[in-house]
Amino acid sequence: MTELLVKNACVIDPLRGINAEMMDIAIRDGKIVEEVSDAAEVIDARGMLTMPGGVDSHTHICGTKVNFGRYMSPEDMRAGRTPRRGPLHATSGYSVPTTYGNSYRYSVMGYTTLLEGAMAPLEARHTHEEFIYTPLQDTMANTLFDGNWAIMEAIRDGDIKRVAAIIAWTLRAVKGFAVKLTNPGGTEAWQWGKNVSCIRDPVPYFEVTPAEIIRSIVEANELLGLPHSVHLHANNLGTPGNYTCTLGSLGLIPDLNEKRQTLYATHVQFHAYGGSGWKDFCSKSEPIARFVSMRPQIVMDMGQVMFGRTTTMTADGPMEFNLYRLHHEKWSNHDVELETGSGIIPVIYRRKNLVNSIMWAIGLELALLTKSPWQCLLTTDNPNGAPFVKYPEIVALLMSKKYRDAEFATIHPDTEARVPLPAIEREMDWYEIAVMTRAGQAKALGLQDLGKGHLAPGADADVAIYPLHIDEVDPSAEYQKVIDAFSRTEYTIKRGRVVARRGECLVDGSNATFWVRPKVSENYDMGKDPDFIEKFDRYYTVRMRNYPVQEEYLNRNRCIETEARI
Amino acid sequence: MKVTLAMKPAGKWFIPIEAESIVPKNFLAGTDLSVWRGNRELRLDDVFSVSVEGDADRAEDVEVVLSGETFRLKRVGEYMDGGRITIFGGIGMHCGNFMSGGTIEVHGNADGWLGREMAGGAIICRGDAADYCASGYRGGRKGMTGGTVEVFGRVGDFLAENLAGGTVTVHGDAGDMPGAEMRGGTLVVHGDCSRPGANMKGGSCYVYGTAQAMLPTFRKIGTVRHEGRTLIRFAGDIANRGKGNLFVKGYEYLD
Amino acid sequence: MIVKDAVCPFCGCLCDDIEVEVEDDRVVAVANACELGMTKFMGERRMKNPILRDGDRWKDITYDEAIRYAADALLSAERPLLYGWSGTHGEAQCVGVHMAELIHGVIDNTSSVCHGPSILAIQEVGHPGCTLGVVKNRADLVIYWGSNPIDAHPRHLSRYTRYAEGFFLENAFRDRKVIVVDIRKTETANIADEFVQIKPGGDYAVLSALRAIVQGKTDTIPRTVAGVTREQLIRVANLCKAAKFGAVYFGLGLTMTQGKYKNIRNAIELVSELSRHTKFTISAMRGHYNVYGSNEVNTWMTGYPFGIDYSRGIAFYNPGETTAVDILARKACDAALVVGSDPAAHFPRKCLEHLADIPVVQLDPYPNATTAFCNVQIPVAVTGVDAEGTAYRMDGVPIRTRKVLSTDYPSDREVLARMYALMQEALER
Repeated sequence: MTELLVKNACVIDPLRGINAEMMDIAIRDGKIVEEVSDAAEVIDARGMLTMPGGVDSHTHICGTKVNFGRYMSPEDMRAGRTPRRGPLHATSGYSVPTTYGNSYRYSVMGYTTLLEGAMAPLEARHTHEEFIYTPLQDTMANTLFDGNWAIMEAIRDGDIKRVAAIIAWTLRAVKGFAVKLTNPGGTEAWQWGKNVSCIRDPVPYFEVTPAEIIRSIVEANELLGLPHSVHLHANNLGTPGNYTCTLGSLGLIPDLNEKRQTLYATHVQFHAYGGSGWKDFCSKSEPIARFVSMRPQIVMDMGQVMFGRTTTMTADGPMEFNLYRLHHEKWSNHDVELETGSGIIPVIYRRKNLVNSIMWAIGLELALLTKSPWQCLLTTDNPNGAPFVKYPEIVALLMSKKYRDAEFATIHPDTEARVPLPAIEREMDWYEIAVMTRAGQAKALGLQDLGKGHLAPGADADVAIYPLHIDEVDPSAEYQKVIDAFSRTEYTIKRGRVVARRGECLVDGSNATFWVRPKVSENYDMGKDPDFIEKFDRYYTVRMRNYPVQEEYLNRNRCIETEARI
Repeated sequence: MKVTLAMKPAGKWFIPIEAESIVPKNFLAGTDLSVWRGNRELRLDDVFSVSVEGDADRAEDVEVVLSGETFRLKRVGEYMDGGRITIFGGIGMHCGNFMSGGTIEVHGNADGWLGREMAGGAIICRGDAADYCASGYRGGRKGMTGGTVEVFGRVGDFLAENLAGGTVTVHGDAGDMPGAEMRGGTLVVHGDCSRPGANMKGGSCYVYGTAQAMLPTFRKIGTVRHEGRTLIRFAGDIANRGKGNLFVKGYEYLD
Repeated sequence: MIVKDAVCPFCGCLCDDIEVEVEDDRVVAVANACELGMTKFMGERRMKNPILRDGDRWKDITYDEAIRYAADALLSAERPLLYGWSGTHGEAQCVGVHMAELIHGVIDNTSSVCHGPSILAIQEVGHPGCTLGVVKNRADLVIYWGSNPIDAHPRHLSRYTRYAEGFFLENAFRDRKVIVVDIRKTETANIADEFVQIKPGGDYAVLSALRAIVQGKTDTIPRTVAGVTREQLIRVANLCKAAKFGAVYFGLGLTMTQGKYKNIRNAIELVSELSRHTKFTISAMRGHYNVYGSNEVNTWMTGYPFGIDYSRGIAFYNPGETTAVDILARKACDAALVVGSDPAAHFPRKCLEHLADIPVVQLDPYPNATTAFCNVQIPVAVTGVDAEGTAYRMDGVPIRTRKVLSTDYPSDREVLARMYALMQEALER
């Protein structure tokens, strides 16, 4: 039995409504408890800002396309190399670090739970292998269904229950956590070199529209009772004028769930563009933020762009190809049979580039203009907008108008005419930041009941103590201190153990993977459905028996069983 | 200041010695430097007989002279920004990596990646240079961006790959694909070579000998006089929508 | 007993529909596999115990002694080389990386003598590809360039291309066209709709010409390029542009020809150019069943796919310098561990001369060419037969190989884990 007592912590825990209360945190055997014995090890937080461990609800860290990004970029790999030290392994990489690199760097920043943004079911095994080597965070995977043949056929036949059954079978088989749609319908069209132009555009051959795919799968997701809602990367990412498509997509969503949103719209910055081309490109963050603020059934995340080099990687194959046409950088593509696709290409976001400057502003605007921080969470779609190590700078930008103005003065001079950012006075406070970086994510992912995102007794003892006294720092003026504090915790505690201290990771950990197992009735078990089985073995190139991810890949895992209504 | 490093007789193996600490600037602080043989750290005086004459307070006034089995030394002159290194003998890989100033003179043959990713300064090689002379690193778009590299002997394959700036001159023959992917700078090969300027985007490549296996995607423009020679001028590489200039004395297609 | 859907551990096709009949702990029959796979499953005459070279003879030793010998030899080396890896499961490959990191050595896999050039090209221009099932279901044009699948990947044509059923193709065999490009008329060329014969060394020039033709710039192209007429080049370019889905598969004919990675780069750039007109993909015909796996494992753990040097603590990658053939040829290592491959059968003589001079330990079920150069050989279970673990198919799809029978042989992973533990202990002391 191991006990730890964190004394004198200045706690912000939004899921419990706690806002900067001085308290002690008692931990036993990896969980928060009411109190511990005198034999407990003691950490004196000396009044430092303490929050539940960070939760990233959308990051690309593990799997086929992430690894593509690594091995096609040896020049990215050679930046940021560290040697093996004690229990810690060597790391490499700047925008697409190795798995150990990701894990140690996230840990130093206080993050203890990560959701992999996109996992193709056929290649899920690869994601799980990389999860094993991301030792200091609990992990889970968004599972891609945007180009799924069996599902598109079921939608075409109007059979929502069958859609749910296929999702259930697949999530159980590949140990996925949630349903992800990336450019729904577009990834299938891309396997013919085409794309869909918006939500009413039918997918070649299958003749279902993205709108139908989104609506049907959202309904199916709720039938399965899954902890997270459908997670959507909308059509038309990156295209000038795409905000109308975004509003159209968000407008499809009814309010089907009391506990959480019905749709999680990801990296919305990339989907909030006005204008009709690059020349009149402008920000449409205002209508998007207004729309979302009025609809509790939608939660979004920023997808903030930060200047500098990075690597884009998404399941949105056609979008990545368009970036190749624009920039002529090295481009990789990887379509996955019967399921989805992906594309990878390095980019540089430049201050001198007007479009990039506008993109930078939009992400911040979305956060500042959305009334409730629970509805706009902090991400960069790592590494698409920027590597996650830039999160502290984003926190500082949100908290300080002065910092925003100082940065604004360095970007393209014409930006002012295209974006509302300079006129926005709002400065987020510590509580709102805590929501945007952990509490809100945990709630949106449906993890708070699983002990994540808060510090109530029974929760996982994942704690981040930042070297900052909030009564001594004015985040509006002293933004550099905010950046420094959020860049390295004083302590990162994972499952009751100190895993990082002042920028150094201390242990090689052993994380847990979260996955879902929806229980369906016999009739809806696709494992026994003759049509499903026949098509599977005819058109896939992997046998159905060899497709599911075996138990051996799970190590410690948390399986969430749900009662499906089919 | 003149620092003389004479290599002591070596052991049986040819395990290379990484000597990126041998840069004129570092000797301003003394000779207590490390080199590495495989995974073993060694002191400078384990490997060399070290002697120092005179003193200096800037790198520009430091000359380092190396002798012995210097072909085993890698990364000599890495990140050099001033001063002089003279090598009486051959030199190992990555000599003058990332160099931005100063002069390196190699009297013998240079192993691969001589002057890799160089930004300034001058490298002279009196012998031959191996593959990837004056080139870049894997995956990078730009290789050498400035400075000069001159080789009096011949060079191996992929000379000046990804050349983006500076001048590279080879007096002997070059191997296969000199100037591959080049986008800027000037490359001069006095001898023959094979498939020059493959996939080039920009810059100028001169071949005073014969270009063998000449690529079919260069458009002949005409003849020009250049430094007393009559050369045929080509534009390309068309396959890459390139606007580079390739000047050759003679050429042969592989047809 | 018949095991269905077994996974064949031979080539990059990683066929997983094999039926293996097992009786008395021996494989007695195999169905669905090609010759190569069948031989792998039915292999006999495995080495019985670990052996130690004793002067001119071999001595039987225990696993403990053999593992200890290896740990000692590798730990005392200044530049140990850990090579092979493509013939074993991913879990073992992961231990290999940890080991190289711990002992500050070099880890390299068989890519460096095979598709290393393909990876170098991908690192320059990316990889527009797809999984094999995408090609099977859609491709109406398949190009084999410098690859002879009938010989090296026998079921590639029937499972994924020429003879495979496709969802979008009414009559796959009739609706698909196959083009073969090679320096000589191979068996695969015999079943092609169009054969393009290139003069040795001329692939690069032909690819450049095709790129220009696809861009509409035919006037610069001479009447023949490396033995191929301009007419044929134009015909091939048009076939490509007219296809609804084109797939290029290339092999050692392209990677090992002069220019190596530049040839692949040019082929990839052609495919990227064609992608502006229609859907086109390109992929490498990986040889060993898990060589891609060793690239994947190495990459997520070290950042690089092969040829990683940990001598200085951080990962350093430089093919031509940190790759096994170059290191051995220059005598730049002083101990070697070989796992899941047979370098003595493939490497140049110069490399073997040095291999003979240094301590070498090999993990392999069978006596092979490398055995002659070993100081110790440790027999292990065969992945896919009596050991299981992850393998990555040539298109990146990971499949778990299965055990079809049980033996007392430890797996590669088990042996390496024990070796690693001994090394950790020694370093702590």
